[in-house]
Amino acid sequence: MLTRRLSPRRFLTRWGPALPLLVFTTATLVLPAIMLVYESFALPDGGLGFEHITKVASNPVDRQAIGGSLALGVVQATLATAIGAPAAWLITRMRLGGRAFWLSLMNVASNFAGIGLAFGFVALIGSTGMLTLILKALLGVEGNPFPSTGSFNGMNLVYLYFNVPMFVLLTLPALSVLKNDWQEAAEVCKATRWQFWRYVGIPVLSPFVIAGWLLVFTWTIGVYAVAYAVAASPGSQKLITLQIGTTLETSVFGLGRAAVLSVLLMILAIGATVLYRLCLKRAARWL
Amino acid sequence: MSHVVLDRITKRFSGHTALNGVSVHVEQGEMLALLGPSGCGKTTLLRCIAGLTAFDSGRLTIGGADMSGVPVRKRPIGMVFQSYALFPNLTVRGNVAFPLTVRKQDRGRTKERVDEMLALVGLDQLGDRLPNQLSGGQQQRVALARALSPGPEVLLLDEPLSALDAQVRTRLRDEVRRIQHQVGITTVFVTHDQAEALAISDRVAVMNAGDIEQCGPPAEIYTAPSTRFAAGFVGNRNTLELSAVDGRVRAGGAFDVQAPSERVLAMFRPEDVELSRDGEGARATVDVTVFLGATTRVYTQVQVNGHPATVFADISSRAAAGLTPGDEVRMRVADAHVQVFPA
Amino acid sequence: MTRRVFLGLLAVYFGLPLLAALLYSVATRWTDTPLPDGYTLSHWINVFAKPDVVGALGRSLLLSAVVVVIEIVLVVPAAYWSVVHNPRIGSMIQTIAVIPFAIPWVVVGAGIQLVTKSVAPQLFGTFWLLAASTAAISFPFMYRAVESSLLAAGAVQLSEAAATCGASPMRTLLKVIVPAIRGGVVSGALLVIATAMNEFALAKILVGVSFETLPLWSARQFVSRTLGDPNALAVVTIFTFGLLFALSALVVWLGRGRVSASMGGNTIS
Repeated sequence: MLTRRLSPRRFLTRWGPALPLLVFTTATLVLPAIMLVYESFALPDGGLGFEHITKVASNPVDRQAIGGSLALGVVQATLATAIGAPAAWLITRMRLGGRAFWLSLMNVASNFAGIGLAFGFVALIGSTGMLTLILKALLGVEGNPFPSTGSFNGMNLVYLYFNVPMFVLLTLPALSVLKNDWQEAAEVCKATRWQFWRYVGIPVLSPFVIAGWLLVFTWTIGVYAVAYAVAASPGSQKLITLQIGTTLETSVFGLGRAAVLSVLLMILAIGATVLYRLCLKRAARWL
Repeated sequence: MSHVVLDRITKRFSGHTALNGVSVHVEQGEMLALLGPSGCGKTTLLRCIAGLTAFDSGRLTIGGADMSGVPVRKRPIGMVFQSYALFPNLTVRGNVAFPLTVRKQDRGRTKERVDEMLALVGLDQLGDRLPNQLSGGQQQRVALARALSPGPEVLLLDEPLSALDAQVRTRLRDEVRRIQHQVGITTVFVTHDQAEALAISDRVAVMNAGDIEQCGPPAEIYTAPSTRFAAGFVGNRNTLELSAVDGRVRAGGAFDVQAPSERVLAMFRPEDVELSRDGEGARATVDVTVFLGATTRVYTQVQVNGHPATVFADISSRAAAGLTPGDEVRMRVADAHVQVFPA
Repeated sequence: MTRRVFLGLLAVYFGLPLLAALLYSVATRWTDTPLPDGYTLSHWINVFAKPDVVGALGRSLLLSAVVVVIEIVLVVPAAYWSVVHNPRIGSMIQTIAVIPFAIPWVVVGAGIQLVTKSVAPQLFGTFWLLAASTAAISFPFMYRAVESSLLAAGAVQLSEAAATCGASPMRTLLKVIVPAIRGGVVSGALLVIATAMNEFALAKILVGVSFETLPLWSARQFVSRTLGDPNALAVVTIFTFGLLFALSALVVWLGRGRVSASMGGNTIS
């Protein structure tokens, strides 16, 4: 390609109709990503250096945010896997009616997102939430027994609402690779149920499960709307996305810190996505 | 006592009867084919023997031992699935060793046995491949080796050749027979392909709608079908609907056999039809000839009971050389080769 | 048994927040009793008479419409050319499509803000910037839907047939290809609308108060809860949810499961 000269006319016939989209996406997606990387190293005097990075590294709030996002990502991915994997398995084993019900429930849940979801949880477990009031009326529980939705635990409770369905919807197709025949064949080969899972089931499914874990992690660290809403109260959990948002809105100049945090998120997300692709590739090796 | 005995096995699936009191037995070292169209219950019967499907009533014994309540894992069987059901994450060796591994057999013995099995099915070179790196025929051999590796008493084959293309299929069919003979294992073999069933089994059980219609050696099934279904399902047959005259059917002189009822179906094979220029038999007009190699199939128009009907005959191509469409010929079938059933 | 308990708890967990929001939208007064004192539809009627809500809804709908138009114009020719003439276009676009799939939209917003401020500062805070950015993050939905329906419709053979009949590429695209892929375009558009209606990060970062979309309105109500109107917020929440669910159900119904794999994920921001 590099060595072959392309006449302008030939170039247009090969690429012409796609040029508007390619130019548009380059300007709105590729260029901003490059600019963010550049900005993280750009110094006010025009040179390049690590000033912004050290600023972020030494800023206690930024460090809390980084730690918080990573912890939330890992905990969410793990919980979503622990709940979603057995749920997905049970759903594949269901009869048609049950499966349709659970699939629509998962679809419903994955559509109840953003600010509305935060509101739903506050209406449920906030200080005057429905469940809080029910517990008070029925069991005489005083105060609010639930974590604040802005705390780390509260965020985990809220995030699971979209992460579990996402994990389930993502891994359901993969679970169908585990054929009924294999279980029967294992049985005929005198294997116990546990032996089937140990030698066949888990090895075949684990790449898909790990891929699901990675995707939940990627999406969790990037969530903004829900985080913005639940973190509105003072003293709530700091997250990278929230720090980026605040910095962009408050600082008139010097987007350097936001750029560093953005690049950090970008690296995490791209790294996780690359691993995700590798996992799926590995999963496909046997199929 | 027979090795595998099925006694009045009944199985109903929500509303429809899959097995309607089936009784059949398999002798030690014998290969029994369960032959029938899809939905006739043959696979259900096989799965009942394996224990993968529980039957509602009846009795199953293997080697004299009652199998009721015995889980799949405890039955002395090996099975090859229609899809082979090879474990995709295990190599060929891993698959063949699987039944031994789960039984915690020591490694040395397992390795020896796996080598022996791979040699038996002719895959000694491919032990480290994954199933998706094998051709369909090779996968089928792995499935067979895996079924045989723990040394089961009874081998169950569920349409083991149906996923293969025609050439591989014929070769592997004979291979399966060779291996079964070599191991001397009692085998039940499910197929919808009559040529396959006739070619390799000791006895064939023709199944229809949850019942066994006829059970016997291939030659008997082929030449003397005892029911209309068996006659229609096994082999190509001419079928004529005729009326009896004085308790006999004659088909315009083509044959002369005893009629079991007023209206009958007479069935006979195309290779049993004789055509001659002149001589005895029913009048027929040559319609079209199809060259098949050693034989030629000749379609003829005959008048039976005053209605035109088509009869096809497979005759040697040499004899057919002189026939052209429109020729008047005589058609007859030896009485012994005609099966009649009440219409 | 364990299975039942597990699934039961899960169903309760997924049902309750929705139920709480729903009850809020029809409650007369609900302060310290387990269930509302009474039920009314007045919030539903009042909300859609409030100028700020109607304005926000209108702006969100306008945004969706403009984004859909931008995407159809950009994506259909590119996908067509990729499928029929130059597959390298497809692989290049798939690579770019990883960006909105993997990189958080806040980060995309930050990058776009950065570029805008250094290249065209007058664009910052405008509707057009928001529309372009929203089009950028949601284009993979449209591209995938259009591409798969082009393949399903046999676009290559259709084009060849049209060419032997003497049609020009433009005519082929408009008269033969577009009618054949209408289903894919509609599915893609529905996914794009769902994204645009619910998108928060870009709107917050790039335009803020100067163009208050429905999610921005919700966020303002939510954050200033003491001043805001919880019942109105509940109505908008349920309304938005119902809209998104209807859109995704429609996509599933249209594609009969064909494009469903691409939904259910990225609309969360």
